[in-house]
Amino acid sequence: MSEHYLLISILIALLALVPFFVKFERRNVQARELVLLAVLIATAVAGRAAFFMLPNFKPILAIVIIAGVALGSESGFLVGAMAAFVSNFLFGQGPWTPFQMVAMGVCGFLAGLLFHRYYAKADSFSGRKKLPLLIFGAAAVFILYGGIVDIWTILAMTPHPTMATVIMVYGAAVYMNVIHAGATVIFLLLLGGPMLRKLNRVQIKYGMNEKRCIDNM
Amino acid sequence: MRNTFATYHPIIEFGFFCVVIGIGMFMIHPVFLAIGASAAFIFAILTGGRGSLKFTLCFLLPMIILITVINPLVNHQGATILFHMRYSYVTAEAAIYGLLMGMMLAAIMLWFSSYNKVMTSDKFTYLFGRIMPSISLIFTMVMRFIPNYKIQIKRIADAQKAAGGGREAETLKEKIHSGIKIISIMFTWALENSIDSADSMRSRGYGLKNRSRFSIYRFDRRDGMAALFLAVMTIIVLAGCISGACHAEYFPEIAFAKATALQTASYIAFACICYFPVFIEVKEVLVWKHLESKI
Repeated sequence: MSEHYLLISILIALLALVPFFVKFERRNVQARELVLLAVLIATAVAGRAAFFMLPNFKPILAIVIIAGVALGSESGFLVGAMAAFVSNFLFGQGPWTPFQMVAMGVCGFLAGLLFHRYYAKADSFSGRKKLPLLIFGAAAVFILYGGIVDIWTILAMTPHPTMATVIMVYGAAVYMNVIHAGATVIFLLLLGGPMLRKLNRVQIKYGMNEKRCIDNM
Repeated sequence: MRNTFATYHPIIEFGFFCVVIGIGMFMIHPVFLAIGASAAFIFAILTGGRGSLKFTLCFLLPMIILITVINPLVNHQGATILFHMRYSYVTAEAAIYGLLMGMMLAAIMLWFSSYNKVMTSDKFTYLFGRIMPSISLIFTMVMRFIPNYKIQIKRIADAQKAAGGGREAETLKEKIHSGIKIISIMFTWALENSIDSADSMRSRGYGLKNRSRFSIYRFDRRDGMAALFLAVMTIIVLAGCISGACHAEYFPEIAFAKATALQTASYIAFACICYFPVFIEVKEVLVWKHLESKI
């Protein structure tokens, strides 16, 4: 009988982060890209801190998703994981940190994978083309983020998770996840256009992403 | 707050928290949990003072009770049936296991609350700067950007207010819109600024080979002794855990491994690790009192 689900799941979450970080370190990153990533992470963290009075109503995941869309899947993962990590220096580190890092990282990664090409043109996030990203945002927060982070809650409640525990925890979290998903959609709607435009502009103006430049020729 | 442990070398501090949290999570055993939770509590009070006491009473105690209640409701293993409910039953083993799980979580949360006080972000950067230079650099920059952004947001908000003729946002919709506008302006400023910093980094030689690094941490004799002590104790505890001398079983019936010398040794060793920061704190106070009395 294994009693160590909690410890093992934390180790798995930590291990899941390793390949992305190693790949990032191996790639000789230019100073400009490095600072750009830091700016995005800091904006996401500042966003979480700015809305501290409204629980679960946070722009952090919207900004992570925007980062993934603008810079691609790998940068999206990094921004998500680091935003979760750094913001927990303000909100408190705990055994939940690795889960949040993986969850936000995966959201950013998938956003990049699915939409990096789709929103390649500078002004492509407008009108009806907004819809796919909004749907993705809501689904990512509700299913991916809620699903991954509450693994920690389930394992913290009981060492032998049964279907009953799982349903109880996810059921109790529906309310919070709905608020969080709603907030993400609202922030994507409001911030998506201007932020994507600005990120595209910076990348093109300073030649940071050759593909982006060709797309927008 | 008094915190002698925070003056040790970061590697000792990080290693200490890895060991106590790691073993604390792995060993669901009443003796280990009692040692870990009590030490974590005392250390949290030393580093956090009143806040930690409030945190324990208002949050951790209810959490322990909640888990103790919930675990037997969803977990029906165990041989001793306490009472039947309409469609199910509650076992003593599951309740006790729930209590121990709650204590484990409380201990870990308390360790983390001291971790947040002891392992400040600069120490973290120092430790991981060599293994993950780019990510540590990003981390450092983010930590610097956040206060910068706060100041800049204030400036933008003031400018917006002035431009709007002193009229403040009233309805919720207006508030959200003005908030979004401020974030958007701040983001433009941050992006422009980031290019400046990147160019400045490059012109100062970022990424060139053979650059040295500076840090204010020194691994001295005291750190060496502490490292040796903690390492030996950890080996004893691990020996006890892996050999099964400290084994505990809860289902279907509660059973502990027989008392052996190794078992006692690993209890004592674990207590030595967990109480290490408290011990050095007490020692520091005693030495100080002694020196004062000599004056």
